[in-house]
Amino acid sequence: MDEKEIIKIHNVTKRFGGLVALDKVTFNIYKGEILGIIGPNGAGKTTLFNCITGVYRPDDGKIFFNGLDITGKPPHRITQLGIVKTHQIVKPFNEFTVLENAMIGALFGRRAGKISKDEAREIALKNLELVGLIEKKDELASGLTLHEKKFLELARALSAEPEVILLDEALAGLNPKEVEESLDIVRMINKELGKTIVMVEHVMHAVMNVANRIVVLHFGKLLAEGSPKEVAEMPEVITAYLGDKDLALKFVKR
Amino acid sequence: MDIDEFFKRPTPLFILILLIVILLAKFLRLETTDYLITIMFFIGIAMALNIIMGFAGYVSFGHTVFLGISGYVFALLVYYNRDLANLMNMYSGIPIFFIALLAGGVSALVAFLVGIPVLKLKGAFFAIATIGLDFAALYIIKAFIPILNPEFFGAQIILPAYALAYKDNVFVAMYITFALIIIANYLIRRSRFGMGLLAISEDEDAAEALGVPTTKYKLISFALSAFFTGMLGAVFGLNSGGVDENLFNLAHTIDMIVMIVIGGIGTVMGPLVGSIIYFILYDTLLVTYPEFNLVILGFIVAVIVLFAPRGVVGILRGKQFMGKKLRDIIE
Repeated sequence: MDEKEIIKIHNVTKRFGGLVALDKVTFNIYKGEILGIIGPNGAGKTTLFNCITGVYRPDDGKIFFNGLDITGKPPHRITQLGIVKTHQIVKPFNEFTVLENAMIGALFGRRAGKISKDEAREIALKNLELVGLIEKKDELASGLTLHEKKFLELARALSAEPEVILLDEALAGLNPKEVEESLDIVRMINKELGKTIVMVEHVMHAVMNVANRIVVLHFGKLLAEGSPKEVAEMPEVITAYLGDKDLALKFVKR
Repeated sequence: MDIDEFFKRPTPLFILILLIVILLAKFLRLETTDYLITIMFFIGIAMALNIIMGFAGYVSFGHTVFLGISGYVFALLVYYNRDLANLMNMYSGIPIFFIALLAGGVSALVAFLVGIPVLKLKGAFFAIATIGLDFAALYIIKAFIPILNPEFFGAQIILPAYALAYKDNVFVAMYITFALIIIANYLIRRSRFGMGLLAISEDEDAAEALGVPTTKYKLISFALSAFFTGMLGAVFGLNSGGVDENLFNLAHTIDMIVMIVIGGIGTVMGPLVGSIIYFILYDTLLVTYPEFNLVILGFIVAVIVLFAPRGVVGILRGKQFMGKKLRDIIE
């Protein structure tokens, strides 16, 4: 991991009416890392993702991607620049086959308009292979299980050929075995394909295990930043989120 | 596209056969020219609406407004420009087609401008907003036409003899327009643009998140759809010898929507097959049971929608044929 920042989040504030969902949040995401974003419900994690991907426009502050100001750009532009998000509630194109779903990612992703249908098919097939959905490529996406649909989200995102992948609770609702499988894939995408990964996650032991660095949000504020071990030992984090210090250490050890 | 692939797929083949059958019917005098013009109009409006409703999933309920706008633009153009009107009967129907292009362009422009705010709405709200557009355009025209010329009776424009075209010329113009619309449908369905539109109809947020420029695509498809609908309105108005407020009648939109739904949404083959079934039923019932035709038609439509919610072609798409999924062949 080199220490070059790929995304800079500077002083980002987002309000919904009287509620301050994000309050002057500032931190960097470094190239090639796996960053975990944790925090209790309502801490502003998903809002932060939505600000990065352009779904929301921050009320204040700036977001830079590779030095380029992307604040307030429409979501499809940000995707084409190289940041792709997978959805917390899976959103497959149900009437499309699995392959067509992944092809949409390639056709409209970073090389949008400069890629032929055949090339898009190749990329889609490669990524379906990677997440283990290749045998289901001709089935309709509506027929997949939740677990498979989550992998399809990932294959679709990968087909856009991004530099950064944002995983919004990609592990929620999966059983322990499926979580392990998913983590292996996440690690592989990070190591072998060199993608920077940012994950919002509630499955604590998983995120503590896989992430190089953790950012903790609490009531829209940046509470802590550091390695999983450091973060889990910070008293303010423990009181705010983990509740019990012993329990927290147990998570880290697992 | 290479020739082999062309014949492996039934949709282009079907389009080709349909175009040839209509020409044959015309030259062998199997059907009257009027009948052929009307059937092309019906299939055409279904296919034109299909671009926004079938592909992008936006039900434009006031779509008949574009028949009206372009119909009136066309009528006024040939009414006030005698040279243009005289030109119509030269070079068979080609000049009519070009005037229709112009009239359709006005509809496309209106759709584009109205689409900027209206396409932000979804589902029923979008449908209601387009109905509003239909009524607004109708009342503007009703107020505007009598000021323009007191000789016009209400909002009705009856074309004078010099502004009429021979039936054969109208046929040619309608035929070119019709061919243009179905071929455009097929090309859109197979393109990257078409895949983007279908993604929008499945899940707009997911499509945007994957890089589909949803706002732009929706606007283009709405404008294209309005453009083709408008061209048909123009040629249809000429065929009827004039235009009146009936062109804005929402019943036309219901026809279009029903044709698409019977056939199967999201495909090219669906609305093609659906509109042919619908038109033949409509026409036969009108002749055999003039009093009850709409009751019977309504019943048949209800049965089809109840048992085949994704339309006739939609059912076929799920089936297997000679070991191959039909979905792969019917696009």
